[in-house]
Amino acid sequence: MILAGSLLPLTVAAPLAVGALLLASAHRVPPRLADVASISTATAVAVLCAYLAAQAGTSAPTQWFGDWRPLGGVSLGIVFTADTASASVACLVAFVVAASLVFAWGYFDEVHAHFHVMMLLFLAAMVGFSLTRDLFNMFVWFELMSVSAYALTAYKLGASSLEGALNFTVVNSVASIAMLAGVGLLYARAGQLDFAVLGQTLCRRGPDPVAAGGFCLIATALLTKAAVVPFQAWLPDAHGVAPSPVSVIFSAVMAPLGLFGLAKLEALVFADCSASMGVVRHLLLPLGCATAVMGGGMAWCQRHLKRLLGFSTVAHMGVGLIALGALDRGGLAGFLGYLTGHALVKGTLFMIAGVLLATRKSNDELVLRGRGRGLGLTGPLMALAGLFLAGLPWGVMHAGAAEVEATASQTMPFIGAASIMLGSGLTGAAVLRSAGRIFWGLGPEAGVEHEGPTEPEREKANRPLWLMLAPCCAMLLANLWPTGSSAFLSAWAASGLIRGAPHGLDAMSLVSGGASVALAVFAAGAGLYRHRSPRALVKAQDALGAMFRPLRDLHSGLVGDYLAWTAVGVAALAIAFLAGA
Amino acid sequence: MTYLPWALCAWLFAIGLYGMATSRDYLHLIGCLSVCQSSTYVLLLSIGFRTGASSPVFHDHPPGVPAVDPVMQALALTDIVVGAAVTALLLAMVIQVCKRRGTIDPQRLKPMQPLDP
Repeated sequence: MILAGSLLPLTVAAPLAVGALLLASAHRVPPRLADVASISTATAVAVLCAYLAAQAGTSAPTQWFGDWRPLGGVSLGIVFTADTASASVACLVAFVVAASLVFAWGYFDEVHAHFHVMMLLFLAAMVGFSLTRDLFNMFVWFELMSVSAYALTAYKLGASSLEGALNFTVVNSVASIAMLAGVGLLYARAGQLDFAVLGQTLCRRGPDPVAAGGFCLIATALLTKAAVVPFQAWLPDAHGVAPSPVSVIFSAVMAPLGLFGLAKLEALVFADCSASMGVVRHLLLPLGCATAVMGGGMAWCQRHLKRLLGFSTVAHMGVGLIALGALDRGGLAGFLGYLTGHALVKGTLFMIAGVLLATRKSNDELVLRGRGRGLGLTGPLMALAGLFLAGLPWGVMHAGAAEVEATASQTMPFIGAASIMLGSGLTGAAVLRSAGRIFWGLGPEAGVEHEGPTEPEREKANRPLWLMLAPCCAMLLANLWPTGSSAFLSAWAASGLIRGAPHGLDAMSLVSGGASVALAVFAAGAGLYRHRSPRALVKAQDALGAMFRPLRDLHSGLVGDYLAWTAVGVAALAIAFLAGA
Repeated sequence: MTYLPWALCAWLFAIGLYGMATSRDYLHLIGCLSVCQSSTYVLLLSIGFRTGASSPVFHDHPPGVPAVDPVMQALALTDIVVGAAVTALLLAMVIQVCKRRGTIDPQRLKPMQPLDP
């Protein structure tokens, strides 16, 4: 246990040290060495975190930096604790980063090792964010994560990627400011920053507007990172324009980390404050439902593949938020299972979008019609991933979704389940529709009027197809890990972070999974064969399109609009929290 | 206990956000972001402030002398560093956007869409 504790800082120090070395020797080392060094570092961090997660069964490995332990109820030091949930999230982060670095093999040759340095910095920040148990430290990792993400988004220096990165940077900087103000307010009340001590001090004081305001501001920041309505608009812009290997990490782990941070704060700091927990539940469930449905509908309306996947991530974050809203009823085990499965599936899909950008020089579904032929496994992989997104009753993602549904059905019997089904069904349908059109040439030929106004985009195709597909297969296989899903769920349930046993799979979850897959396949077919479908179906599609048109207008791409929505969101959260506190 | 710093902080945040949302020039927008950010400095320093206390440097006065809260100063210092990094990054991106689009009006720049007339 002592060994595990002393290994803990390595999870963050190793990527930072290797990154610094790479930066110092960037002009001297051959480019392949940077690839090898960063992939092996990420893999080593993943293995280390897996070891820590396995060790955490009885008592979680803990490291007080500089041995500044709490003394007489006062905690000044900074602590890392690798409980099962945090360590497995960190392991997932490192695994996805390693897979995405393999996918990007040789992609960033010409810029020395700068891409790898930023990826390692990003990795260290995300791992630190998962493992820390100190509010200020959490803010520091959050900032580091944000800044490296901004730079990585703008990496291509194209007009679109710069504009997407500017939107991302401005909106998320406001979120960071909110987070810092929130940290300050909580400190003003408790005089502590350590999660455990902070929670005890705050809850002893009872309901308190300053603490409620602090939590509200921190929640704003984390919900912005997780792209929850009404803070979601930056995400499709940024994920759509970032280089594919970076989008993989953004959607698979960065956005979910926002929700994970919120889950940790709720479980460790505010668990015993019944007042704030009540507000959280009443607020997060409807927000989650709205996010899931909006993300699904918007994903369905897109033709740019990476933008479509970005909206699909919004929808799945909504489902995660529903799980979080139902926290004290065992929703967290399902939440983690769902986010893990989602990370593996969504990472695969962004890699496939990257394969298309590299080999077919476009990401436009209509332009690409039938041009995906000859890409071997790519098409079947995309279809399979689409089915998983829709809720195919198989694998880790479904095990998590079943838990989430079981939990949500106790709190919000009808609306919760319906939103989950609609959100995941529609995003699955959008992915299946694109896969059918691109890889099998289904649907009618697009007319000239469908030539999109999007700028030409392509990514470097300097690596063999099998090398790009290998990490995709690895991630999808990880999602299918047969005994993994249930073992994970019970392990998480046993860790200190999660209370309540998982419900386990039952017939109901198979039925709902099957129903949402059926919905997805039907909707994908209706989208592809619109010209041959019965009149009623066309009318229904038109009505849905009209319903989502105002929402499309809201995603204007203008940073001023996004900031206005952020202000509305902060105000709404503040009113809800202050009324509840 | 005075409410002045709290009110000032809320005002700075609100006016900065308003400036950013209505800005027609990215340089102005980045300036407004800095105004927004300075609201947190005011907040943090007012939280850590003690009347009559000195700075938390114990090099030249004996231990036990009242000092303001060093944790808040550390927070503010971290934020200043991060703010500088973000501002530099934003300015660099704005220069590149200006080269490619010929404008830095946030209300004309939309990702993945052609420039508005």
